[in-house]
Amino acid sequence: MRQWNTRKTLREERIAAGGAFATGKTIDPARLVDFLEAVLRPSDRVCIEGDNQKQADVLARGLAAVDPARIHDLHMVQSGVVLPEHLDIFETGIAKRLDFSYSGPQSARIAKMLFGGKIELGAIHTYLELFARYFVDLTPQVALIAAVSADRHGNLYTGPNTEDTPTVVEATSFGSGLVIAQVGEIVDTLPRVDIPGDQVHFVLDAGRPFYVEPLFTRDPAAMTETQILTAMLAIKGLYEPYGVRRLNHGIGFNTAAIELLLPTYGEKLGLKGKICTHWALNPHPTLIPAIEAGWVEQVHCFGSEVGMEDYLAARPDIFFTGPDGSLRSNRAFSQTAGLYACDMFIGSTLQIDLAGHSSTITANRIAGFGGAPNMGSDARGRRHPSAPWLQAGAEADPDTAAPLRRGRKLVVQIGETFGEGNAPLFVEKLGALELAEKLDLDLAPIMVYADDTTHIVTEEGIANLLLCRTADEREQAIRGVAGFTEIGRGRDTAMVERLRARKIIQRPEDLGIDPLDANRNMLAARSIKDLMLASGGLYRPPSRFRNW
Amino acid sequence: MSNVRQSWYEAGARERIAALVDAASFAEFIGPERREISPHLSIFDLPAQFDDGIVVGAAAIDGTPVLVAAQEGRFMGGAFGEVHGAKLTGLLRAAKALGRDVVIAFDTGGVRLQEANAGEIAIAEIMRAVAEARMAGARVVGLIGGRAGCYGGGGLIAGCCSTLIVSEQGRISVSGPEVIETNKGVEEFDSRDRGFVWRTMGGKHRTLIGGADVFVDDDATAFREAARAALARPAGLDAAMLSAEQARLERRIARFGDAPDATDIWRGLGIADPQAIPDMPAAGFADLAAQYRESADDAR
Repeated sequence: MRQWNTRKTLREERIAAGGAFATGKTIDPARLVDFLEAVLRPSDRVCIEGDNQKQADVLARGLAAVDPARIHDLHMVQSGVVLPEHLDIFETGIAKRLDFSYSGPQSARIAKMLFGGKIELGAIHTYLELFARYFVDLTPQVALIAAVSADRHGNLYTGPNTEDTPTVVEATSFGSGLVIAQVGEIVDTLPRVDIPGDQVHFVLDAGRPFYVEPLFTRDPAAMTETQILTAMLAIKGLYEPYGVRRLNHGIGFNTAAIELLLPTYGEKLGLKGKICTHWALNPHPTLIPAIEAGWVEQVHCFGSEVGMEDYLAARPDIFFTGPDGSLRSNRAFSQTAGLYACDMFIGSTLQIDLAGHSSTITANRIAGFGGAPNMGSDARGRRHPSAPWLQAGAEADPDTAAPLRRGRKLVVQIGETFGEGNAPLFVEKLGALELAEKLDLDLAPIMVYADDTTHIVTEEGIANLLLCRTADEREQAIRGVAGFTEIGRGRDTAMVERLRARKIIQRPEDLGIDPLDANRNMLAARSIKDLMLASGGLYRPPSRFRNW
Repeated sequence: MSNVRQSWYEAGARERIAALVDAASFAEFIGPERREISPHLSIFDLPAQFDDGIVVGAAAIDGTPVLVAAQEGRFMGGAFGEVHGAKLTGLLRAAKALGRDVVIAFDTGGVRLQEANAGEIAIAEIMRAVAEARMAGARVVGLIGGRAGCYGGGGLIAGCCSTLIVSEQGRISVSGPEVIETNKGVEEFDSRDRGFVWRTMGGKHRTLIGGADVFVDDDATAFREAARAALARPAGLDAAMLSAEQARLERRIARFGDAPDATDIWRGLGIADPQAIPDMPAAGFADLAAQYRESADDAR
């Protein structure tokens, strides 16, 4: 007779073994490492919760301290490889295989370890893709998660930074895995219940809040006039003609500049209410002036942002908030919103090639994907129409009859022709390709594929790739906005002028924009302090962003 | 809208002078057309600037002739090199000879490492020239509110001025945050904790402990008004003033030398809610500072 409940039985064994180092569900903090050694088995699939923002940092540290002779060869399935401990466990042999999504601050070290063979790489995913696999072939057997607080029954309050927690817990707990939560404190009554206690098996009182990175704060003081020019081009050359109301922004300075130009430049163009009303977006501090000026109707968030908590709680008409008043974020839902319900994604990248593929991966840095490819891709399953989506679809495919024509999401890359450290944005060959060759990967890690990219904006102008009919036109359209990079200087000048006549390329002057008007006085806020003042003191910037 | 006023913090050296002096009254000495560039930077393959990062000249404020200087914080962090230093020294010697007041818009990280000897000598020469100009009856007014702050030798020169005008963003110190952290450890000074950096070196703290005399908003007009007022104050420098200031500084270190954080000093000055100071708007802070601050004796 086949046993049909081996997974549940194994979980019962783990709970019993862990119980020796806990009182009820509460782990003895002094015995955390013993506890982890008791509940884990070699080769387990383990998720340490963490993404580009919040981290189950105390549990990660605990895991890094277990005895590799007892616990080894773990298969880590996690959104973010962000803390040093996330990679330390591969150095010591506690973990062996890795499926992940994002590795921002560890991008150099993870590359080195992959080259050195320290890590057996499953795949680099988008957030949504990894979440999907949690429910198919990468269901965690043990999840180490993070919450703000717990009550005695193990109910969890995750606060504004709910992020990945519901998804990880859903897959693990209902997939007969074990859920262990670190919390900042254990209280009698929670402000709200984000995770029901019967899905949580153990709780660690870490005695302090989990770590959160303020990744989405861009200091207006660091914004350049070139970035402001690209932002003006995007507003006048894309947002206005397509009437983009539902969108997502990347985290770069160019898009932050767009946010700060809405109440000034956007207002002058009479676009209030016509663009940028509904967002799938983290609570960017640079969106405060636009919100306060009445531009924004609704924002759903992947996570929160350090210092924005009180502001979000005070604007429940705009943000999704719980009965306790604080923000409720959810990465999986917001990524889905970005994929299916937004008409535009606009973000910055490090490299774009002549076909229009882009990547943030260079030969020595593997930053992962995070969520950008979910937002920055055309959802083939989309069926509802909207004006920008239909218009983009018509530009791409004028010959098909309208009722049978797919629309297109606007996927825009925005940046300066020379980026940080004067590195050219446009390249002959992507670093991602060199990396794929070096590591013998089946797929080069491309952030946004060429066939999803619809526009490229630089200080030299806008290239509309939807209107290109041949690969040659596409290449010249890209060269035509590539400025003085090698790629830009290799343009066919006559052809670029012909593309300009067809409005495939639009220069600032074609849009009635004088580059000399692009100055910092156009920004609705020129410093973090201005943002704080615009919020009526509700936004409390972290110390690292202050200059007062 | 925040863009009606001109931000002093964001302005360049020439924009600051234009905001400070009477329209069309400025005549530059050794302007960029003379191309008096640094003789040292090319050795390091570094770009030079035709004015070497400082603009000096004669102008008028409210019709009264003054000499003005403004450092360009965006070139080499406004740092002092040989030419940069010589232009300011010369201006101050002219102030002594003409008996004319000087206004200096500081924006500097100190001495340029690439021409350190020339820069250090320049700092000493400038300090002497400030003292001599002041003893001859000229006022030397310093304005501090730029990105680079006023560090290193710039901090020493500022300490010799008759009046210092500072905004919240302006920082005054000798050793910079990174230097202190490197030498004394992150436990002593975390240079990335910007709130802490500004609490310790920023305009509000310097005003409260008498390290600066006038606190203004980050607004070019406010700097001009404060400079006008400073130029109307009594001039002069003598041994009695220096002794009084020395005594004040000795009292200050006895009283606050062990304070771990600026907020402890503010509490010691009698301010009930020191934590609220950093977020206070300029006007409210200026009122509070007038009530509680330590005043310097025209020399600090």
